[in-house]
Amino acid sequence: MLVIERLEFAYDVASAASMRFELEVADGEVLSLIGPSGSGKSTLLNLIAGFLPARSGRILIDEVAIEGFEVAERPVSIVFQQHNLFPHLDLYTNVALGVEPSLRLNGAQVETVREALARLGLEQLQRRKPGELSGGQRQRVALARALVRKRKILLLDEAFAALGPAMRAELIELVKELVCEQGMVGLLVSHQPRDALIASARTAFICDGQVTASATTAELLEQTELPELRNYLGSM
Amino acid sequence: MTDMSRRLPAVLVLVLLAFMVLAPMAGLLNLGGLPGYEATDLRFWQSTYLRRVFFFSVWQASLSALLSVLPAILVARAFALQPDLPMRRVLLRLFALPLVVPAVVAVMAVVSVYGSDGWLPFGRSLYGLDGILIAHVFFNLPLAVRLLLPQWQAIPRHHWQLSEQLGMNSWQRWRFLEWPMLREALPGVLLLVFMLCLTSFAVVLTLGGGPRSTTLEVAIYQSLRFDFDPARAVVLALLQLGLCMLVAMATLKLQRLPEVEIADSAPAAPLSALHKAIDIALIVAATIYVGMPLLSVLIDALGGPVLSVLSGASLWRSIVNTLLIGLSAAVLAVSAGWFLLRYSASLAHAGHSRRARLVDLAGSIVYVVPPLVIGTGMFVLLSPHVDVLDWVFPIVISINALMGLPFVIRCLGPAMRQNHARYHHLCLSIALRGWYRFRYLEWPLLRRPLALAIALVTVLAMGDLGVIALFGSPASATLALLIYQQLGAYLIPQATVTAMVLLLLCLGVFALLERLIGGNRDAGY
Repeated sequence: MLVIERLEFAYDVASAASMRFELEVADGEVLSLIGPSGSGKSTLLNLIAGFLPARSGRILIDEVAIEGFEVAERPVSIVFQQHNLFPHLDLYTNVALGVEPSLRLNGAQVETVREALARLGLEQLQRRKPGELSGGQRQRVALARALVRKRKILLLDEAFAALGPAMRAELIELVKELVCEQGMVGLLVSHQPRDALIASARTAFICDGQVTASATTAELLEQTELPELRNYLGSM
Repeated sequence: MTDMSRRLPAVLVLVLLAFMVLAPMAGLLNLGGLPGYEATDLRFWQSTYLRRVFFFSVWQASLSALLSVLPAILVARAFALQPDLPMRRVLLRLFALPLVVPAVVAVMAVVSVYGSDGWLPFGRSLYGLDGILIAHVFFNLPLAVRLLLPQWQAIPRHHWQLSEQLGMNSWQRWRFLEWPMLREALPGVLLLVFMLCLTSFAVVLTLGGGPRSTTLEVAIYQSLRFDFDPARAVVLALLQLGLCMLVAMATLKLQRLPEVEIADSAPAAPLSALHKAIDIALIVAATIYVGMPLLSVLIDALGGPVLSVLSGASLWRSIVNTLLIGLSAAVLAVSAGWFLLRYSASLAHAGHSRRARLVDLAGSIVYVVPPLVIGTGMFVLLSPHVDVLDWVFPIVISINALMGLPFVIRCLGPAMRQNHARYHHLCLSIALRGWYRFRYLEWPLLRRPLALAIALVTVLAMGDLGVIALFGSPASATLALLIYQQLGAYLIPQATVTAMVLLLLCLGVFALLERLIGGNRDAGY
């Protein structure tokens, strides 16, 4: 389970104005985060991943506070919108780096990589380089690497934004399956309310650096009394 | 977020750079401590000689900048508007060649084409302002073309289409599309070329140097090596320093230099047959101007005393010295540049872009403090304590490394910043660091710009005739100094053969380093 307690952050250290997040996500759940540009969605993911230092507050994963952990020590995998893969390395190597950066893999680790590639339908492509793949295939490779890392939290920072609707839906379904199968916790940042409908039973709306609404996805998208949410949905 | 492993080496490099620049400056300012110094030496400030040298330095640099950049605008435009010209890429590569041709070889080449016995005699003596201008244009016209060309390629395709839709003629396109883009880069390019010509040493030393055509740089050299007058050298060096600082500040203010990266994309614009013919004529003329001198030095050398020069021990000793200085300076410059850029990339990524820019600028300090000024300072600082001629290699290598550092920053900087911005978070999240980060990420993605940086600095140091002329002796002579000594002894055929050896060595070393370090150019990612 992921619990975010009074997690505060400010881009300008001297500034009194800061972002403040509170959140809970259960095992096997994919929570969608929607909200206007600059509202703090990606900042929240960066705080969880450790790319940004929180000013105060706690990040608990299965009751263990991780805010003091180095990036690599956190039980977190992240998939970005682009540049997830090293362009000069083939798919197998890109995924294997997630297991062991020295690439000195034992038999069991090699098998893990193979299984992950097979699970994502990439076994025939493993010697190809990212430049030879479609956008959807590239994101599948990034998911395969997240899978082999066996980390509890999977962060998806507009990971499928560059893909067409059908491919996006297919990959989101895949993420749901993986998160459920592995007992992971998924956080999906997206600009598309439709993605939230496919991905999540529950969605949080982030505005001005805080979670201003959280409900079942269908309910949240129906809420019209919250002006920020109305503006946001109206502009979609 | 920047960690200590990036900050510490960069800070060490910055301290070293500050020491290399400030220690010689302190030596220069400590005028009273100079051997044989008398207060009356300061009257030199008011001498006619100083005024003449100062005026000539600024005059030749201004003329060289104008004569290089104005035609370069026409040639760059011709290249930009003729994207389908046969051999366009080859011609543009030819325009990169003067960057790696040693100045003293270029002087030989210019003399062999435009000299009184040359292929196309200029009609007047090349030893003076005319020769200096011809040589400076040979170097800087191609550079200006390569700097200006990307301005045309930055014009969005839709703007060209719009101009076509609106029925604009060539002049209107120039006025509304091209000139506004060009205007942004032009002051920076003009000042850069002005600065290069102001601090040009080898060209003025070999083609000028007489009482009527001496620049501050050459006058510093003459004061130290011929007149044994360090006080005069210090006054000249301080004047040169002040002038360079002024130009550097103006350049910094106006500089909007594009990356010297020639893309294949080109504007779509309908052109008349006459327009096309004029463009091609301009390109051909510029190509002949750049290509012919290089060809002539090779042909003239092959008709010279090749065997006797090649069998001389001094040539082989000079080749060894040249390679030693070139490769050592490159290793030093690239190491220093790597640490600076690693730190500045992480600063930029963390949002401290002003600090990142300052770190990059510190690496380009040599633009403000010319190498000969640093050399003079070192000479003044060290000469009371040691025989500076015994220290020739460490001094020449370190100053050449300093001269190469801006090239390293320019070649490697954009790629390192891009790599850091794209992959740093990914590397952190999968714990790819240290040796493995270098092996799997940095080496494969940076080896080409790294190779270019190493190759460039190596050949620039190999061909330098500045610091080595100040400190060199026959035993420590490089090929460039050997050519200068042969010219001084009127051994012109021998100098031509040595120039050919240096030219071929530079081109060979450049190609070899690019291939060995950069790998296969066709292996696209």
